[in-house]
Amino acid sequence: MVFSLGIKTRGEYAEEAAQQVIDAAIVRWQGTGLEAEVRNHKSGMARPYVYIKCPRNHWRAVAKWLRFEMGADHCSMITGIHWPDGPDDCKWEVVAHLMRMNVINPPERGGWTKQVIRDPKILQDDDVPMEFEVSISIPDTRNPSVQSVQEVWMGADWNEKETWDLVGIDFEGHENMRRVLQPHDTPVGFHPLQRQHKIRYHDFEVMYDDAQGFGRKAIDEGKTK
Amino acid sequence: MGPQHPMTHGLWTLKVKVDGETVVDTIPDLGYIHRGVEKICESRDFTKITTYCDRLCYASANTWSHSYIYAAEDLLEVEVPERAEYIRVIAVELQRIASHLMWLGAFCPDIGNLTAFVWCLREREMMLDLLQELGGSRMHYNFPRIGGVKRDLPIGFAMRARAKIKLFLDRIQETEQLLDESTVFLVRTQGVGYAKPEEMVNWGVTGPNVRAGGVNYDVRWAHPYSVYDQLDWDVSVERPSIKGADSYDRYRVRVDEMRQSALMCLDALNKIPGGAETHYSEGDPMIISKAKERAEEGKTGFHHFEDSRGESMFYMVGGGDQRGKHPYRISIRSPMFLTIPYASKCMIGYKVADIPAIMGSFDPCIGETDR
Amino acid sequence: MGDWFTVRTWASDFSQMVADNTIGKTSFSGYSDTLAAVITETIMAVNVFAIIMGTILVLLWIERKFFARIMDRRGATMAIRSLWVGEGGEHVDWYDELPFGAGKPIRWLNGLLNNTFGSSSKYETVDRVNDRGYHGIWFLLPGLIQNVADGMKFMTKEWMVPAKADKFIFEVAPFLIITSTVMIFAFIPLSSEIYSANPELSLLFLMAIFGIAPLGVFFAGWSSNNKYTLLGGIRSAAQLTAYEIPLLVTVLSVAVLSGSLNIIEIVEFQISSGSWNLFLLPLGAALFLITMVAEVERIPFDMPEAEAELVEGWWTEYGGMRWGLMFASEYLRSYAACLLFALFFLGGWEMPFGDSITNIIPNQDLILGSVGIGLIGLAIGMRSEYPALLAPIPLVFMSILPPVAWLLFKSWVLFALFVWIRASFHRIRTDQILEFGWRWLLPLSLVNLGIAFWLRLSAWEGGEWPLFVPGLITAIALVVFVILGIDEDTSELEGRTRPYSVYTGEVGPASPRSHEK
Repeated sequence: MVFSLGIKTRGEYAEEAAQQVIDAAIVRWQGTGLEAEVRNHKSGMARPYVYIKCPRNHWRAVAKWLRFEMGADHCSMITGIHWPDGPDDCKWEVVAHLMRMNVINPPERGGWTKQVIRDPKILQDDDVPMEFEVSISIPDTRNPSVQSVQEVWMGADWNEKETWDLVGIDFEGHENMRRVLQPHDTPVGFHPLQRQHKIRYHDFEVMYDDAQGFGRKAIDEGKTK
Repeated sequence: MGPQHPMTHGLWTLKVKVDGETVVDTIPDLGYIHRGVEKICESRDFTKITTYCDRLCYASANTWSHSYIYAAEDLLEVEVPERAEYIRVIAVELQRIASHLMWLGAFCPDIGNLTAFVWCLREREMMLDLLQELGGSRMHYNFPRIGGVKRDLPIGFAMRARAKIKLFLDRIQETEQLLDESTVFLVRTQGVGYAKPEEMVNWGVTGPNVRAGGVNYDVRWAHPYSVYDQLDWDVSVERPSIKGADSYDRYRVRVDEMRQSALMCLDALNKIPGGAETHYSEGDPMIISKAKERAEEGKTGFHHFEDSRGESMFYMVGGGDQRGKHPYRISIRSPMFLTIPYASKCMIGYKVADIPAIMGSFDPCIGETDR
Repeated sequence: MGDWFTVRTWASDFSQMVADNTIGKTSFSGYSDTLAAVITETIMAVNVFAIIMGTILVLLWIERKFFARIMDRRGATMAIRSLWVGEGGEHVDWYDELPFGAGKPIRWLNGLLNNTFGSSSKYETVDRVNDRGYHGIWFLLPGLIQNVADGMKFMTKEWMVPAKADKFIFEVAPFLIITSTVMIFAFIPLSSEIYSANPELSLLFLMAIFGIAPLGVFFAGWSSNNKYTLLGGIRSAAQLTAYEIPLLVTVLSVAVLSGSLNIIEIVEFQISSGSWNLFLLPLGAALFLITMVAEVERIPFDMPEAEAELVEGWWTEYGGMRWGLMFASEYLRSYAACLLFALFFLGGWEMPFGDSITNIIPNQDLILGSVGIGLIGLAIGMRSEYPALLAPIPLVFMSILPPVAWLLFKSWVLFALFVWIRASFHRIRTDQILEFGWRWLLPLSLVNLGIAFWLRLSAWEGGEWPLFVPGLITAIALVVFVILGIDEDTSELEGRTRPYSVYTGEVGPASPRSHEK
């Protein structure tokens, strides 16, 4: 029996904080089909993160809840994945990574600002920086779309533009959706990260002996990699 | 300010609406060097993707390949030996110094000073020499491997690194003095491009830009990875004015970050397990551990990493072609992709002449923006 | 000391002789004086033009080499050393790879150079980084012909007129700029005997012509049909106009102090009154310097051509020789500015301490000349074992130097100052430049004018200045300069807490010098 002074390690505080989020999620979103669990990174330092599987029509509400009540103030990335061979209810997937940074504007003291310095060893509960991963599945459709969270995080704005531009998932309610990485005159409906578009050698079907694929030895006819 | 422009730090367009000399509206236009890295990597082995990630941000190549490697190790569930982590930290921090020197070397001619350009590149030569010893080339190193690093510290590296870093710490004072004590520089960069941390974080801006706003958020201590919690370092934070962080604060933060990175390297050289003078041969379990090659379907891995410009993230989904040897999807989060729209918004209300001062102080690198 | 280099007298004698012997012997002998004048003026104009154009190469050389030293880069000449010196003790025998044994003489030369100049540098570990030493080479290859090569390049490059540009004005603009710039040198006397034109009000003419070039700049910027150049042209017009006024007021103060609007008389005043105007009007000298740097559009007043946002500013669309001429005009204007500063404030073509030496050693031309040459021979023969013998050599050399050489030296030193300023400062933003010009320089120039009035009317009694007047003024100026140079506003700087200072490890109030602890 080890007598503990009640001081926990950082990892334990983080686990606690993650568990608190899960508990709050279960309480708040009971019955909507939302699943939340604590997962751990599988290499390096075992950092817990919150994984939420969000039903499609609740995304904006969950986003607002995460932002204003769980404190996820930073939208790191919103991206989309195309699963043509996946399960029927998940042909498209939107994955949003959020972070709780707890960044506040430095307070004013006598005409100057006071720096906000936080010591990582003593943070607990709501102060612990937390990673969130939210996964939204979209069933099979030609025009996948989810709600836009542009007004919750400004950082979602360009992420959603990129997701639509490259993957083809539309975001309802998103103002000023435009091509952001591809040229402006790309044909409508062309979204390169969908699985039906292949780049050369995507499946490594044939064997060539130069990188450009122009030359091929006779002896390699019919061979595949 | 179109794609062909000497000082936009990369290939992108900034459409500026001006009223006389005042900027009224800006629209950034990216995508000129969109190379489709995410799509390409869907058909590459995990080890082959490292080279692509070096080229994402060519000024800061090591940080990007390490960012990818940590995410890949999360996906493939690999344990990395501690010595390798130290070597990685040394490589990443040296790269951070080199990247910030490149930034300073490009920022000063933007404002007009050509001397600091050459001085910063002179210091950068030293860092590039060290990185060449580690990685083999001066810019794109392909240095980390899944499970460790490619090679151990070369023989004599510790001595050279210590000498060069000490010389660098002396020399950076000169450049700092040239800039800090020049009223012209202060007049050009202070009061220009105010930005507040909460707004920045909401927009997705992280890294030195937020630390210039007075908040000490750094991914290296918030979501710790590698051996950063065993090294003796401080987060560089500025104390901005009430209106927010201006270009001068962002400049000061990066200069101090350079110093911190230099101290981190020295500290890592002291604390590395096995000693900095021993050299383990390639493939030794001290520096690399055996890693799986396949990631089955259903597995995901991601990692937030403190890049020179902010928080970069790789999200990888397993189960791709070749029965799992390729990732199904790899998604790259670039800090600059969200900083450039924010910086463009920051410019509104200032003069045309302030555009390079503001844009340069946010340190854009279009390679990672466009992927 | 008399000026033995009396070019004008020679020219007029020569042309008089020519005229007398040609026209004088014909029936048009009444016009022989006119012909003599025409020939004289032609000779003088060509002479002045040749001197200026020849010595501008020195200016460009100063700019390149000095700039490179400040920026701590070796440049091509010094980097030649890397061909035979290795790095870290390793040599790469690249010459052995050349075919047909062509590398053997290079290998011999390599060995010779290694033995003479050394084969390694001082630092083992950081040897690739300059340490600002000479690294063994004591000579600098001239690099003077670099600009000749540049000129040839400009002549062969393509120039084009943008399709929608205003063709006439586009082509007139460089013409305006370069001709007005070259015309400036007509009025700048290079010594009391070498000048091209010397009207009574030469200063007035000079300043008027100096101010035509901004018009050409604006034409160039506007007619190129390019938003960038328009911005550059507007900025340039605003900046140059703003700085013309303090410039003119400062020049007026010099003229008031010296009692004449003729440049030669200004210099004669400085020589005869025993003190350079620099010591009497230090504020005026500083103002003249700043306004001239702004007028010739050098950094820190570089906004019209700011590379960062305007690509090349108002001359973006020009190529080939058009641009080459405008680029030359920029350096010609800088040269004119340096020459004018030397003429107005540094005593022109007078040797420093000239009249002190004259007073000490009378009749020294021939005596000192011969003594000096003898001493030079002696010293060289004795291989400089007696350095004390060398001391009078510069003195003697200086006494036989024609005064024009003094003027040129002073202007070159001043140009080195211009280059130093350029290397150290950043560009100031246009509205800050304009604010600085109108709100600070103009009142200061008026104050300076007042000082000049007071000096001329009250403090000067004709003849020479009593020694304490320039001495006192200079002392006051130095004290003010030192006070202004100390970091002002330390309380504001202290308030900005610097991040955890690396060397002290503590958070504390900091100034930019905190890293020195």
